[in-house]
Amino acid sequence: MNRTKASDDAAPPGPMIEVIDLRKSFNGREVLRGVSFKVWPREMLGIIGPSGCGKSTILKHLCGLLTPDSGQIIKRSDEVGLVFQGSALLNSLTVRENLALPLRHRKLSRAEQDRIIREKLELVGLAEYIDAYPTQLSGGQQKRTGFARAIVNDPKIILYDEPTTGLDPVMSTIIEDYMIELEHKLGAASIVVTHQPSTWSRTADRVLLVFGGRVVWEGNPDEALKSDDPYMRQFAHATREGPMEAGKV
Amino acid sequence: MTNLPAARKRIDPLLLLENWFGSGVRLIGQTLILLVLTVKYILRGEIDWKEVWRQCYIIGVNSFVVVGLTAVFTGFAMSLQIARELVLFGADTAIGGVVSLALVREIGPITAGVMVAGRVGSAIAAELTTMMITEQIDALTVMRIDPVQFLVVPRYLAAMFMMPALSVYAMFIGLLAGIQIAHTAANLPPETFMDSVKQTILDRDFTVHFSKSWINATLVIMLSCAIGLHTRGGAEDVGIATTRSIVWTMTMIFVFNYIVTSLTYAPR
Ligand SMILES: Nc1ncnc2c1ncn2[C@@H]1O[C@H](COP(=O)(O)OP(=O)(O)OP(=O)(O)O)[C@@H](O)[C@H]1O
Ligand SMILES: [Mg+2]
Repeated sequence: MNRTKASDDAAPPGPMIEVIDLRKSFNGREVLRGVSFKVWPREMLGIIGPSGCGKSTILKHLCGLLTPDSGQIIKRSDEVGLVFQGSALLNSLTVRENLALPLRHRKLSRAEQDRIIREKLELVGLAEYIDAYPTQLSGGQQKRTGFARAIVNDPKIILYDEPTTGLDPVMSTIIEDYMIELEHKLGAASIVVTHQPSTWSRTADRVLLVFGGRVVWEGNPDEALKSDDPYMRQFAHATREGPMEAGKV
Repeated sequence: MTNLPAARKRIDPLLLLENWFGSGVRLIGQTLILLVLTVKYILRGEIDWKEVWRQCYIIGVNSFVVVGLTAVFTGFAMSLQIARELVLFGADTAIGGVVSLALVREIGPITAGVMVAGRVGSAIAAELTTMMITEQIDALTVMRIDPVQFLVVPRYLAAMFMMPALSVYAMFIGLLAGIQIAHTAANLPPETFMDSVKQTILDRDFTVHFSKSWINATLVIMLSCAIGLHTRGGAEDVGIATTRSIVWTMTMIFVFNYIVTSLTYAPR
């Protein structure tokens, strides 16, 4: 499995990300009640669960936007790329300037910086939009620019928050293919949060189902679709009957 | 949180006062912290000069026309009143002195400050709030770029350069308006007007003038950035943040203007 894949990497064996008993409350309401998982190099972890169960909250802890109330987060790399659900491109900057932001800390020559930016834009098929402003791009183009910006530094950890939600099926497939390609090309550990069954079943090596602030099911995507665990079955078959009541997280 | 709508409907004056007071105290604290962080980056020399010039241009373009228009009409109205009274006392030759005192000490800095607060401060509050809501600030943090260094420092430096320029410009336009009024309403030659100006204005008046402009620049940028960087929520909060920044910056400009005036000109 992925563990064997990791061993042929030059990096020492061990998880890229380890989350231990993560807990978080907002305004006295406990959203995460002890979440634990590991992500290995060259592995894509899918996190699924009903809306509002805390999936984005988990990702925000992993990139330092939130601090846990208790629990531990261990990362083997500080290079974290986050693909925001809403792209989060800086509207006052061009595509090129947006992609240059993560490169600021590396003292690169202008030419070298430009070469890297062009290379990543070509990867997402947007090289000709290098001098466009985000508002001049379509939603899908913005999402792909957000992708390119998240990976411009070749991060060892890539986090995707709903990368395909709201895209047409063809564009979703294109984005999913990028994700798989990046996972292999960069040897990164990735986490994808998504509501699209096609996205997690195609890209994820392992899937966590989060409900009630905890991980209630874990397994690979094939098992997920066949599982007779009451939570996973209800989620995979989208039925109303089951342990998850509508609106409850 | 099913009881939230019911709780909202009940109007509790004490709770309203507490919220109002609490949010004001919080904003003052946030503003002071932001000022300290900004000054720290400036002292360390971590400044993006290209962005500073871009912000200078934005502040200047947004403000020169409105500041000029406000100054010319304030200058007209004020000089008319002053000329009228002084002519009654036969003190026509003092018109230039009195008009210029008012312009250098009070009207110049206030006009520039209020106009920059209205045009630039509100735009910054709206821009930063939008950036918060659309996760652009979070994106900067994830990319390990400090929003204070990236967004606040260039705006602050630009305002520190442009505010004195705008104040001097307002004073100058106001003076021209005064010369015009003195000439038409009191039949005073421009030379007499200017002689009186030169005899009256001291170096100290310019120290006060520049101090007030720098205080105004600090108030406008720090308050509107603090409001922008601490607003969360949805699109409707952009409007709320904009209004809040205008109310706070304008009020504080008048308050600090009086503090400086009373410290320097109070009769002893
Ligand atoms: N900054 C915050 N302040 C207060 N509450 C928050 C904050 N962020 C998240 N929450 C709450 O935490 C819960 C989980 O939010 P989160 O965004 O992680 O959900 P999610 O699983 O990503 O949902 P979705 O699938 O709809 O994106 C929600 O009930 C939300 O209201
Ligand atoms: Mg989410």
